[in-house]
Amino acid sequence: MTYGSMITPIGSNSVENFSAMLREESGVDFVENSGFNNENWPLGKIKSLPNKNRYNTLLTEGCKQLTSKHGKEIFDSDETIVIVSSTKANLEDLPNDTFSSTRNILTDELGLKNKIVIISNACISGVIAINTAADYLQSNRYKTAVVIGIDVLSDFVVYGFQSLFALSNEPSKPFDKNRKGICIGEALGAVILTKEKINDDFHVEYLGGSSSNDANHISGPSRTGEGLFRSVNKSLERASVKSNDIDFISAHGTGTNYNDEMESIAFDRLGLIATPLNSLKGYFGHTLGAAGLIEVISTMKMMENNTLLKSVGFEETGTSRPINVLKNNLNKEITTVLKTASGFGGGNASLILKKVQ
Amino acid sequence: MKLIGTCKISKNGAFLNGKEVELFSSDTENWKKECYTNLNLDYSKFHKMDSLAKMAFLSTEIIKKEVDLSKYDENELTLLFANNSSSLTTDLKFINSYEVKGSPSPSLFVYTLPNILTGELAIRNKWYGENCFFIEEKFDVEFFLEQINFYFSKGSNACLCGWVESNKKNEECFLFLIEKNGKENIKEQLTTLYKQ
Repeated sequence: MTYGSMITPIGSNSVENFSAMLREESGVDFVENSGFNNENWPLGKIKSLPNKNRYNTLLTEGCKQLTSKHGKEIFDSDETIVIVSSTKANLEDLPNDTFSSTRNILTDELGLKNKIVIISNACISGVIAINTAADYLQSNRYKTAVVIGIDVLSDFVVYGFQSLFALSNEPSKPFDKNRKGICIGEALGAVILTKEKINDDFHVEYLGGSSSNDANHISGPSRTGEGLFRSVNKSLERASVKSNDIDFISAHGTGTNYNDEMESIAFDRLGLIATPLNSLKGYFGHTLGAAGLIEVISTMKMMENNTLLKSVGFEETGTSRPINVLKNNLNKEITTVLKTASGFGGGNASLILKKVQ
Repeated sequence: MKLIGTCKISKNGAFLNGKEVELFSSDTENWKKECYTNLNLDYSKFHKMDSLAKMAFLSTEIIKKEVDLSKYDENELTLLFANNSSSLTTDLKFINSYEVKGSPSPSLFVYTLPNILTGELAIRNKWYGENCFFIEEKFDVEFFLEQINFYFSKGSNACLCGWVESNKKNEECFLFLIEKNGKENIKEQLTTLYKQ
Protein backbone atom coordinates (compact mmCIF):
# COMPACT_ATOMS: atom_id res chain seq x y z
CA MET A 1 0.00 0.00 0.00
CA THR A 2 1.33 3.44 -0.88
CA TYR A 3 0.35 7.12 -1.03
CA GLY A 4 -2.34 8.32 -3.43
CA SER A 5 -3.40 11.86 -2.59
CA MET A 6 -4.15 13.92 0.50
CA ILE A 7 -5.91 17.29 0.60
CA THR A 8 -6.71 18.78 4.00
CA PRO A 9 -6.92 22.25 5.58
CA ILE A 10 -3.14 22.12 6.24
CA GLY A 11 -1.77 20.74 3.00
CA SER A 12 -2.51 19.61 -0.52
CA ASN A 13 -0.36 16.45 -0.54
CA SER A 14 1.06 14.03 2.02
CA VAL A 15 4.47 15.75 2.19
CA GLU A 16 2.95 19.19 2.82
CA ASN A 17 0.61 17.75 5.41
CA PHE A 18 3.36 15.94 7.29
CA SER A 19 5.58 19.07 7.33
CA ALA A 20 2.70 21.12 8.70
CA MET A 21 2.01 18.50 11.36
CA LEU A 22 5.68 18.48 12.40
CA ARG A 23 5.29 22.24 12.92
CA GLU A 24 2.22 21.45 15.06
CA GLU A 25 -0.02 23.38 12.70
CA SER A 26 -3.72 22.80 13.10
CA GLY A 27 -6.26 23.31 10.32
CA VAL A 28 -9.04 23.87 12.83
CA ASP A 29 -10.12 27.49 13.03
CA PHE A 30 -13.22 29.47 13.96
CA VAL A 31 -15.67 29.83 11.06
CA GLU A 32 -18.01 32.81 11.31
CA ASN A 33 -21.73 32.12 11.44
CA SER A 34 -21.21 28.40 10.90
CA GLY A 35 -23.70 27.41 13.62
CA PHE A 36 -27.45 27.20 13.40
CA ASN A 37 -27.74 30.22 15.69
CA ASN A 38 -24.83 31.93 13.92
CA GLU A 39 -22.23 30.60 16.36
CA ASN A 40 -18.59 30.67 15.23
CA TRP A 41 -17.69 27.00 15.55
CA PRO A 42 -14.08 25.86 15.16
CA LEU A 43 -13.99 23.71 12.01
CA GLY A 44 -11.37 22.13 9.77
CA LYS A 45 -12.17 24.08 6.62
CA ILE A 46 -10.17 23.93 3.37
CA LYS A 47 -9.97 27.63 2.55
CA SER A 48 -9.18 27.19 -1.14
CA LEU A 49 -12.47 25.40 -1.89
CA PRO A 50 -15.33 27.48 -3.37
CA ASN A 51 -18.53 27.91 -1.35
CA LYS A 52 -20.57 26.20 -4.06
CA ASN A 53 -19.60 22.85 -5.53
CA ARG A 54 -17.16 22.02 -2.71
CA TYR A 55 -17.52 18.25 -2.98
CA ASN A 56 -17.16 18.02 -6.74
CA THR A 57 -14.22 20.44 -6.72
CA LEU A 58 -12.39 18.48 -4.03
CA LEU A 59 -13.03 15.10 -5.64
CA THR A 60 -11.91 16.36 -9.06
CA GLU A 61 -8.73 17.82 -7.54
CA GLY A 62 -8.01 14.54 -5.72
CA CYS A 63 -8.38 12.58 -8.97
CA LYS A 64 -6.10 14.98 -10.84
CA GLN A 65 -3.45 14.48 -8.17
CA LEU A 66 -3.74 10.72 -8.53
CA THR A 67 -3.25 10.79 -12.29
CA SER A 68 -0.47 13.37 -12.23
CA LYS A 69 1.43 11.27 -9.67
CA HIS A 70 0.75 7.78 -11.00
CA GLY A 71 -0.25 8.27 -14.63
CA LYS A 72 -3.61 7.29 -16.14
CA GLU A 73 -2.79 3.70 -17.09
CA ILE A 74 -3.04 2.30 -13.56
CA PHE A 75 -6.63 3.58 -13.20
CA ASP A 76 -7.76 2.92 -16.75
CA SER A 77 -7.17 -0.83 -16.39
CA ASP A 78 -9.61 -3.71 -16.14
CA GLU A 79 -7.46 -5.05 -13.29
CA THR A 80 -8.12 -1.97 -11.12
CA ILE A 81 -11.01 -1.47 -8.71
CA VAL A 82 -11.85 1.88 -7.07
CA ILE A 83 -13.51 2.05 -3.68
CA VAL A 84 -14.93 5.29 -2.29
CA SER A 85 -15.60 6.04 1.37
CA SER A 86 -18.02 8.89 2.09
CA THR A 87 -20.73 9.50 4.65
CA LYS A 88 -22.71 12.21 2.86
CA ALA A 89 -21.09 12.70 -0.57
CA ASN A 90 -22.53 15.71 -2.41
CA LEU A 91 -25.39 17.13 -0.32
CA GLU A 92 -25.77 19.98 -2.83
CA ASP A 93 -27.41 17.42 -5.13
CA LEU A 94 -30.40 16.97 -2.80
CA PRO A 95 -33.29 16.31 -3.37
CA ASN A 96 -31.64 14.10 -6.00
CA ASP A 97 -29.27 11.20 -5.38
CA THR A 98 -26.21 12.48 -3.49
CA PHE A 99 -23.79 9.82 -4.75
CA SER A 100 -24.27 9.94 -8.54
CA SER A 101 -21.83 12.84 -9.10
CA THR A 102 -19.15 10.70 -7.39
CA ARG A 103 -19.44 8.03 -10.09
CA ASN A 104 -19.49 10.61 -12.88
CA ILE A 105 -16.42 12.49 -11.69
CA LEU A 106 -14.38 9.34 -11.07
CA THR A 107 -15.27 7.93 -14.48
CA ASP A 108 -14.43 11.22 -16.24
CA GLU A 109 -11.18 11.83 -14.38
CA LEU A 110 -9.81 8.31 -14.04
CA GLY A 111 -11.37 6.55 -17.04
CA LEU A 112 -12.30 3.47 -15.07
CA LYS A 113 -13.08 0.06 -16.59
CA ASN A 114 -14.80 -1.51 -13.58
CA LYS A 115 -17.74 -0.54 -11.45
CA ILE A 116 -17.07 1.85 -8.56
CA VAL A 117 -17.67 0.45 -5.07
CA ILE A 118 -19.04 3.03 -2.62
CA ILE A 119 -19.07 2.45 1.12
CA SER A 120 -21.14 4.67 3.41
CA ASN A 121 -20.82 3.32 6.92
CA ALA A 122 -20.49 6.46 9.07
CA CYS A 123 -17.12 7.28 10.63
CA ILE A 124 -15.65 3.80 10.09
CA SER A 125 -16.20 3.95 6.29
CA GLY A 126 -12.53 4.67 5.53
CA VAL A 127 -11.11 1.76 7.50
CA ILE A 128 -13.73 -0.64 6.10
CA ALA A 129 -12.98 0.63 2.58
CA ILE A 130 -9.27 -0.26 2.98
CA ASN A 131 -10.26 -3.67 4.39
CA THR A 132 -12.54 -4.20 1.38
CA ALA A 133 -9.74 -3.18 -1.00
CA ALA A 134 -7.54 -5.87 0.58
CA ASP A 135 -10.37 -8.41 0.06
CA TYR A 136 -10.46 -7.56 -3.67
CA LEU A 137 -6.70 -8.03 -4.02
CA GLN A 138 -6.76 -11.31 -2.11
CA SER A 139 -9.46 -12.61 -4.47
CA ASN A 140 -6.83 -12.35 -7.25
CA ARG A 141 -9.28 -10.73 -9.65
CA TYR A 142 -7.61 -7.33 -9.41
CA LYS A 143 -4.01 -6.18 -9.33
CA THR A 144 -4.72 -2.71 -7.98
CA ALA A 145 -7.29 -1.30 -5.56
CA VAL A 146 -7.58 2.46 -5.12
CA VAL A 147 -9.35 3.77 -2.02
CA ILE A 148 -10.59 7.37 -1.91
CA GLY A 149 -12.10 8.84 1.27
CA ILE A 150 -13.90 12.17 1.07
CA ASP A 151 -16.37 14.37 2.94
CA VAL A 152 -16.88 18.14 2.92
CA LEU A 153 -18.29 20.65 5.38
CA SER A 154 -21.97 21.53 5.12
CA ASP A 155 -24.62 23.26 7.22
CA PHE A 156 -26.35 19.86 7.32
CA VAL A 157 -23.52 18.11 9.16
CA VAL A 158 -22.56 21.05 11.41
CA TYR A 159 -26.18 21.67 12.46
CA GLY A 160 -26.62 17.93 13.04
CA PHE A 161 -23.67 17.58 15.40
CA GLN A 162 -24.70 20.85 17.04
CA SER A 163 -28.18 19.43 17.67
CA LEU A 164 -26.58 16.47 19.45
CA PHE A 165 -24.53 18.87 21.64
CA ALA A 166 -21.43 17.09 20.31
CA LEU A 167 -19.50 20.13 19.00
CA SER A 168 -16.60 21.68 20.87
CA ASN A 169 -16.51 25.49 21.14
CA GLU A 170 -12.69 25.38 21.02
CA PRO A 171 -10.28 23.34 18.87
CA SER A 172 -10.83 19.74 19.93
CA LYS A 173 -8.64 18.06 22.57
CA PRO A 174 -8.93 14.30 22.07
CA PHE A 175 -8.28 12.22 25.23
CA ASP A 176 -7.61 15.36 27.29
CA LYS A 177 -9.16 16.00 30.70
CA ASN A 178 -10.78 19.20 29.39
CA ARG A 179 -12.06 17.87 26.08
CA LYS A 180 -15.37 19.37 25.03
CA GLY A 181 -16.35 17.55 21.89
CA ILE A 182 -15.85 17.26 18.17
CA CYS A 183 -14.64 19.76 15.58
CA ILE A 184 -15.93 18.77 12.14
CA GLY A 185 -13.52 18.97 9.22
CA GLU A 186 -13.26 18.22 5.51
CA ALA A 187 -10.63 16.36 3.52
CA LEU A 188 -9.81 13.90 0.80
CA GLY A 189 -7.36 11.05 1.21
CA ALA A 190 -6.45 8.25 -1.18
CA VAL A 191 -4.21 5.20 -0.99
CA ILE A 192 -3.26 2.60 -3.57
CA LEU A 193 -3.09 -1.08 -2.70
CA THR A 194 -1.20 -3.39 -5.03
CA LYS A 195 0.26 -6.87 -4.97
CA GLU A 196 3.75 -5.48 -5.62
CA LYS A 197 5.57 -2.18 -5.12
CA ILE A 198 4.60 0.25 -7.90
CA ASN A 199 7.23 2.97 -7.45
CA ASP A 200 10.08 4.07 -5.21
CA ASP A 201 7.71 5.67 -2.70
CA PHE A 202 7.38 4.30 0.80
CA HIS A 203 5.11 1.23 0.98
CA VAL A 204 3.51 -0.63 3.87
CA GLU A 205 2.15 -4.15 3.97
CA TYR A 206 -1.49 -4.64 4.91
CA LEU A 207 -1.63 -7.51 7.41
CA GLY A 208 -5.34 -7.74 8.26
CA GLY A 209 -8.45 -5.92 9.36
CA SER A 210 -12.04 -6.34 10.53
CA SER A 211 -15.13 -4.65 11.89
CA SER A 212 -17.46 -5.35 14.80
CA ASN A 213 -20.71 -3.85 16.02
CA ASP A 214 -21.19 -2.80 19.67
CA ALA A 215 -24.79 -4.12 19.57
CA ASN A 216 -25.47 -1.45 22.17
CA HIS A 217 -26.61 2.00 20.93
CA ILE A 218 -27.00 3.72 17.55
CA SER A 219 -25.42 7.05 18.51
CA GLY A 220 -23.35 6.36 21.63
CA PRO A 221 -20.36 4.06 22.14
CA SER A 222 -20.44 0.96 24.31
CA ARG A 223 -19.36 1.61 27.92
CA THR A 224 -17.11 -1.46 27.78
CA GLY A 225 -15.59 -0.76 24.35
CA GLU A 226 -17.10 -4.08 23.26
CA GLY A 227 -17.10 -3.67 19.49
CA LEU A 228 -13.66 -2.04 19.37
CA PHE A 229 -12.24 -4.79 21.62
CA ARG A 230 -13.70 -7.50 19.39
CA SER A 231 -12.65 -5.85 16.14
CA VAL A 232 -9.02 -5.35 17.26
CA ASN A 233 -8.82 -8.94 18.51
CA LYS A 234 -10.13 -10.20 15.19
CA SER A 235 -7.69 -8.01 13.25
CA LEU A 236 -4.76 -9.22 15.38
CA GLU A 237 -5.79 -12.80 14.69
CA ARG A 238 -6.14 -12.21 10.93
CA ALA A 239 -2.79 -10.40 10.83
CA SER A 240 -1.16 -13.16 12.92
CA VAL A 241 0.34 -10.66 15.34
CA LYS A 242 0.03 -10.30 19.11
CA SER A 243 -0.95 -7.14 20.95
CA ASN A 244 2.64 -6.71 22.21
CA ASP A 245 3.84 -6.63 18.58
CA ILE A 246 1.92 -3.37 18.05
CA ASP A 247 4.37 -0.44 18.19
CA PHE A 248 1.88 2.37 17.73
CA ILE A 249 -1.88 3.03 17.57
CA SER A 250 -3.52 5.59 15.31
CA ALA A 251 -6.66 5.94 17.42
CA HIS A 252 -10.03 7.45 16.51
CA GLY A 253 -10.12 10.00 19.38
CA THR A 254 -12.94 12.38 18.46
CA GLY A 255 -12.69 14.53 21.57
CA THR A 256 -16.08 13.62 23.01
CA ASN A 257 -16.28 12.39 26.59
CA TYR A 258 -17.88 9.04 25.84
CA ASN A 259 -15.92 8.09 22.74
CA ASP A 260 -12.45 8.76 24.15
CA GLU A 261 -13.31 7.04 27.44
CA MET A 262 -14.60 4.01 25.53
CA GLU A 263 -11.38 3.77 23.52
CA SER A 264 -9.26 3.87 26.70
CA ILE A 265 -11.28 0.98 28.14
CA ALA A 266 -10.95 -1.07 24.96
CA PHE A 267 -7.18 -0.48 24.68
CA ASP A 268 -6.74 -1.41 28.34
CA ARG A 269 -8.71 -4.65 27.83
CA LEU A 270 -6.54 -5.39 24.78
CA GLY A 271 -3.26 -5.06 26.70
CA LEU A 272 -2.39 -1.91 24.74
CA ILE A 273 -2.44 0.57 27.61
CA ALA A 274 1.28 1.40 27.34
CA THR A 275 1.43 1.50 23.53
CA PRO A 276 2.09 5.03 22.18
CA LEU A 277 -0.96 6.44 20.44
CA ASN A 278 -2.35 9.63 19.01
CA SER A 279 -5.53 11.07 17.59
CA LEU A 280 -5.05 13.29 14.54
CA LYS A 281 -8.43 15.02 14.94
CA GLY A 282 -6.63 17.99 16.55
CA TYR A 283 -4.86 18.69 13.21
CA PHE A 284 -7.76 18.20 10.77
CA GLY A 285 -10.95 18.00 12.80
CA HIS A 286 -13.15 14.95 12.31
CA THR A 287 -13.36 14.49 8.55
CA LEU A 288 -15.88 11.60 8.70
CA GLY A 289 -15.54 9.47 5.53
CA ALA A 290 -12.05 10.84 4.85
CA ALA A 291 -10.76 10.35 8.42
CA GLY A 292 -9.64 6.73 8.07
CA LEU A 293 -7.72 7.53 4.89
CA ILE A 294 -5.91 10.70 5.97
CA GLU A 295 -5.05 9.11 9.33
CA VAL A 296 -3.61 6.01 7.64
CA ILE A 297 -1.59 8.19 5.23
CA SER A 298 -0.27 10.30 8.14
CA THR A 299 0.63 7.11 10.02
CA MET A 300 2.53 5.86 6.97
CA LYS A 301 4.44 9.18 6.97
CA MET A 302 5.32 8.59 10.64
CA MET A 303 6.58 5.10 9.79
CA GLU A 304 8.59 6.44 6.84
CA ASN A 305 10.18 9.25 8.89
CA ASN A 306 10.59 7.35 12.19
CA THR A 307 8.75 10.20 13.91
CA LEU A 308 5.59 9.78 15.94
CA LEU A 309 3.41 12.88 15.92
CA LYS A 310 2.01 14.25 19.13
CA SER A 311 -1.72 14.19 19.73
CA VAL A 312 -2.49 17.89 19.25
CA GLY A 313 -4.72 19.29 21.99
CA PHE A 314 -3.76 16.65 24.57
CA GLU A 315 -2.25 17.91 27.81
CA GLU A 316 -3.54 15.88 30.74
CA THR A 317 -4.94 12.36 31.02
CA GLY A 318 -8.70 12.56 30.82
CA THR A 319 -9.77 8.93 30.59
CA SER A 320 -10.27 6.41 33.38
CA ARG A 321 -7.56 4.16 31.90
CA PRO A 322 -4.18 5.93 31.60
CA ILE A 323 -3.40 5.21 27.95
CA ASN A 324 -0.12 6.46 26.44
CA VAL A 325 -1.25 9.52 24.46
CA LEU A 326 1.73 11.29 22.87
CA LYS A 327 2.28 14.78 24.33
CA ASN A 328 5.34 15.48 22.20
CA ASN A 329 6.68 14.33 18.85
CA LEU A 330 8.86 11.28 19.38
CA ASN A 331 11.72 9.96 17.27
CA LYS A 332 11.16 6.23 17.19
CA GLU A 333 11.27 3.49 14.60
CA ILE A 334 7.97 1.67 14.40
CA THR A 335 7.29 -1.49 12.42
CA THR A 336 3.74 -2.64 13.15
CA VAL A 337 0.84 -0.25 13.67
CA LEU A 338 -2.85 -0.50 14.50
CA LYS A 339 -5.46 1.89 13.07
CA THR A 340 -8.90 2.02 14.68
CA ALA A 341 -12.19 3.81 14.07
CA SER A 342 -15.58 3.89 15.78
CA GLY A 343 -18.81 5.54 14.75
CA PHE A 344 -22.57 5.96 14.65
CA GLY A 345 -24.56 2.79 14.16
CA GLY A 346 -22.34 1.10 16.78
CA GLY A 347 -19.65 0.39 14.20
CA ASN A 348 -15.99 -0.23 15.01
CA ALA A 349 -13.24 -1.13 12.57
CA SER A 350 -9.50 -1.72 12.69
CA LEU A 351 -6.57 -2.70 10.52
CA ILE A 352 -2.90 -3.55 10.98
CA LEU A 353 -0.03 -2.33 8.79
CA LYS A 354 3.63 -3.30 8.71
CA LYS A 355 6.62 -1.42 7.37
CA VAL A 356 8.09 -3.07 4.27
CA GLN A 357 11.76 -3.62 5.20
CA MET B 1 -23.27 -21.30 -0.27
CA LYS B 2 -26.81 -22.04 0.72
CA LEU B 3 -29.85 -19.77 0.67
CA ILE B 4 -31.58 -20.15 4.04
CA GLY B 5 -34.38 -17.64 3.75
CA THR B 6 -35.63 -14.47 2.08
CA CYS B 7 -38.13 -11.75 2.87
CA LYS B 8 -39.35 -9.07 0.51
CA ILE B 9 -41.51 -6.28 1.85
CA SER B 10 -43.03 -3.16 0.37
CA LYS B 11 -46.48 -1.59 0.51
CA ASN B 12 -47.50 -4.33 -1.93
CA GLY B 13 -47.08 -6.99 0.71
CA ALA B 14 -44.71 -9.20 2.68
CA PHE B 15 -43.27 -12.31 1.05
CA LEU B 16 -41.45 -14.91 3.13
CA ASN B 17 -39.42 -17.28 0.95
CA GLY B 18 -41.57 -16.25 -2.00
CA LYS B 19 -44.92 -16.86 -0.28
CA GLU B 20 -47.13 -13.98 0.74
CA VAL B 21 -47.72 -13.52 4.47
CA GLU B 22 -50.83 -11.54 5.46
CA LEU B 23 -49.47 -8.88 7.78
CA PHE B 24 -51.07 -5.69 6.51
CA SER B 25 -53.64 -4.57 3.98
CA SER B 26 -51.88 -3.30 0.91
CA ASP B 27 -53.84 -0.06 0.68
CA THR B 28 -52.75 1.18 4.12
CA GLU B 29 -50.50 4.19 4.02
CA ASN B 30 -48.87 3.26 7.30
CA TRP B 31 -48.19 -0.35 6.33
CA LYS B 32 -45.01 -0.67 8.37
CA LYS B 33 -46.79 0.14 11.63
CA GLU B 34 -49.61 -2.26 10.79
CA CYS B 35 -47.04 -4.94 9.99
CA TYR B 36 -45.31 -4.34 13.36
CA THR B 37 -48.63 -4.61 15.20
CA ASN B 38 -49.61 -7.82 13.44
CA LEU B 39 -46.26 -9.40 14.23
CA ASN B 40 -47.18 -9.02 17.94
CA LEU B 41 -43.85 -7.45 18.80
CA ASP B 42 -43.02 -5.50 21.92
CA TYR B 43 -40.03 -3.37 20.93
CA SER B 44 -40.64 0.32 21.53
CA LYS B 45 -37.42 1.35 19.71
CA PHE B 46 -39.21 0.45 16.47
CA HIS B 47 -41.33 3.59 16.60
CA LYS B 48 -38.25 5.87 16.63
CA MET B 49 -36.65 4.23 13.59
CA ASP B 50 -36.58 5.74 10.11
CA SER B 51 -38.12 4.01 7.13
CA LEU B 52 -34.94 2.08 6.19
CA ALA B 53 -34.42 0.71 9.69
CA LYS B 54 -38.12 -0.16 10.09
CA MET B 55 -38.14 -2.19 6.89
CA ALA B 56 -34.90 -4.02 7.73
CA PHE B 57 -36.18 -4.69 11.24
CA LEU B 58 -39.57 -6.02 10.06
CA SER B 59 -38.01 -8.23 7.36
CA THR B 60 -35.64 -9.75 9.92
CA GLU B 61 -38.52 -10.44 12.31
CA ILE B 62 -40.49 -12.10 9.49
CA ILE B 63 -37.55 -14.34 8.55
CA LYS B 64 -37.28 -15.31 12.24
CA LYS B 65 -40.74 -16.91 11.94
CA GLU B 66 -39.11 -19.73 9.96
CA VAL B 67 -35.41 -19.54 10.79
CA ASP B 68 -33.91 -19.60 14.27
CA LEU B 69 -31.37 -16.79 13.94
CA SER B 70 -30.21 -17.27 17.54
CA LYS B 71 -28.42 -20.44 16.45
CA TYR B 72 -25.59 -18.31 15.05
CA ASP B 73 -22.69 -17.41 17.29
CA GLU B 74 -22.85 -13.69 18.22
CA ASN B 75 -19.65 -12.97 16.22
CA GLU B 76 -20.22 -15.08 13.12
CA LEU B 77 -23.17 -13.40 11.42
CA THR B 78 -22.15 -10.65 8.96
CA LEU B 79 -24.55 -7.86 7.94
CA LEU B 80 -24.15 -6.60 4.36
CA PHE B 81 -26.63 -4.00 3.12
CA ALA B 82 -26.94 -1.71 0.11
CA ASN B 83 -29.19 0.79 -1.60
CA ASN B 84 -29.06 3.59 -4.16
CA SER B 85 -30.51 6.56 -2.29
CA SER B 86 -28.51 6.30 0.95
CA SER B 87 -30.58 8.01 3.69
CA LEU B 88 -32.27 10.42 1.23
CA THR B 89 -35.76 10.36 2.81
CA THR B 90 -34.43 11.17 6.28
CA ASP B 91 -31.90 13.69 4.89
CA LEU B 92 -34.80 15.72 3.45
CA LYS B 93 -36.77 15.48 6.70
CA PHE B 94 -33.72 16.65 8.67
CA ILE B 95 -33.24 19.65 6.35
CA ASN B 96 -36.92 20.45 6.79
CA SER B 97 -36.46 20.41 10.59
CA TYR B 98 -34.02 23.35 10.48
CA GLU B 99 -35.18 25.17 7.34
CA VAL B 100 -38.90 25.07 8.07
CA LYS B 101 -39.63 23.78 11.56
CA GLY B 102 -37.20 26.00 13.44
CA SER B 103 -34.37 23.82 14.74
CA PRO B 104 -32.25 20.85 13.64
CA SER B 105 -33.73 17.65 15.03
CA PRO B 106 -31.19 15.37 16.72
CA SER B 107 -33.50 12.35 16.50
CA LEU B 108 -33.69 12.77 12.71
CA PHE B 109 -29.97 13.54 12.34
CA VAL B 110 -28.85 10.20 13.78
CA TYR B 111 -30.76 8.43 10.99
CA THR B 112 -29.07 10.44 8.21
CA LEU B 113 -26.58 7.58 7.78
CA PRO B 114 -27.77 4.44 5.97
CA ASN B 115 -25.75 2.05 8.15
CA ILE B 116 -27.78 2.95 11.25
CA LEU B 117 -30.11 0.10 10.29
CA THR B 118 -27.33 -2.46 10.78
CA GLY B 119 -26.83 -0.98 14.25
CA GLU B 120 -30.55 -1.43 14.96
CA LEU B 121 -30.41 -5.09 13.89
CA ALA B 122 -27.23 -5.66 15.93
CA ILE B 123 -28.84 -4.16 19.05
CA ARG B 124 -32.08 -6.10 18.67
CA ASN B 125 -30.38 -9.45 18.09
CA LYS B 126 -27.07 -9.00 19.97
CA TRP B 127 -25.00 -9.50 16.85
CA TYR B 128 -21.37 -8.36 17.22
CA GLY B 129 -20.22 -9.47 13.74
CA GLU B 130 -18.96 -7.44 10.80
CA ASN B 131 -21.14 -4.82 9.05
CA CYS B 132 -20.90 -2.92 5.79
CA PHE B 133 -23.26 -0.61 3.90
CA PHE B 134 -22.74 -0.01 0.16
CA ILE B 135 -24.25 2.59 -2.19
CA GLU B 136 -25.07 0.85 -5.47
CA GLU B 137 -26.80 2.00 -8.66
CA LYS B 138 -29.23 -0.93 -8.52
CA PHE B 139 -29.72 -4.31 -6.85
CA ASP B 140 -26.79 -6.37 -8.12
CA VAL B 141 -26.79 -10.04 -7.09
CA GLU B 142 -23.27 -10.68 -8.34
CA PHE B 143 -21.88 -7.82 -6.28
CA PHE B 144 -23.54 -9.17 -3.12
CA LEU B 145 -22.26 -12.71 -3.82
CA GLU B 146 -18.73 -11.35 -4.31
CA GLN B 147 -18.85 -9.54 -0.96
CA ILE B 148 -20.39 -12.56 0.79
CA ASN B 149 -17.53 -14.70 -0.51
CA PHE B 150 -14.99 -12.25 0.93
CA TYR B 151 -16.56 -12.54 4.38
CA PHE B 152 -16.89 -16.34 4.17
CA SER B 153 -13.23 -16.61 3.26
CA LYS B 154 -12.39 -14.45 6.31
CA GLY B 155 -14.21 -16.78 8.72
CA SER B 156 -17.87 -15.74 8.78
CA ASN B 157 -20.36 -18.59 8.45
CA ALA B 158 -23.51 -16.69 7.60
CA CYS B 159 -24.43 -13.37 5.99
CA LEU B 160 -27.70 -11.53 6.45
CA CYS B 161 -27.92 -9.22 3.44
CA GLY B 162 -30.40 -6.66 2.27
CA TRP B 163 -31.31 -4.26 -0.48
CA VAL B 164 -33.28 -1.59 1.37
CA GLU B 165 -34.46 1.50 -0.44
CA SER B 166 -36.48 4.55 0.53
CA ASN B 167 -37.03 7.44 -1.86
CA LYS B 168 -39.96 9.36 -3.32
CA LYS B 169 -40.77 6.65 -5.83
CA ASN B 170 -40.08 3.52 -3.90
CA GLU B 171 -39.96 1.90 -0.46
CA GLU B 172 -38.83 -1.70 -0.39
CA CYS B 173 -36.62 -4.16 1.41
CA PHE B 174 -35.33 -7.48 0.11
CA LEU B 175 -33.56 -9.44 2.82
CA PHE B 176 -31.71 -12.73 2.31
CA LEU B 177 -29.82 -15.04 4.62
CA ILE B 178 -26.98 -17.14 3.23
CA GLU B 179 -24.90 -19.83 4.93
CA LYS B 180 -21.41 -20.80 3.92
CA ASN B 181 -21.81 -24.54 3.50
CA GLY B 182 -23.72 -25.77 0.49
CA LYS B 183 -23.66 -25.65 -3.27
CA GLU B 184 -26.73 -23.98 -4.65
CA ASN B 185 -27.30 -21.71 -7.63
CA ILE B 186 -28.17 -18.78 -5.44
CA LYS B 187 -27.85 -16.16 -8.18
CA GLU B 188 -30.94 -17.31 -10.06
CA GLN B 189 -33.00 -17.88 -6.91
CA LEU B 190 -32.25 -14.40 -5.61
CA THR B 191 -32.89 -12.71 -8.95
CA THR B 192 -36.32 -14.35 -9.15
CA LEU B 193 -37.28 -13.66 -5.54
CA TYR B 194 -36.17 -10.01 -5.73
CA LYS B 195 -38.42 -9.34 -8.73
CA GLN B 196 -41.46 -10.62 -6.86
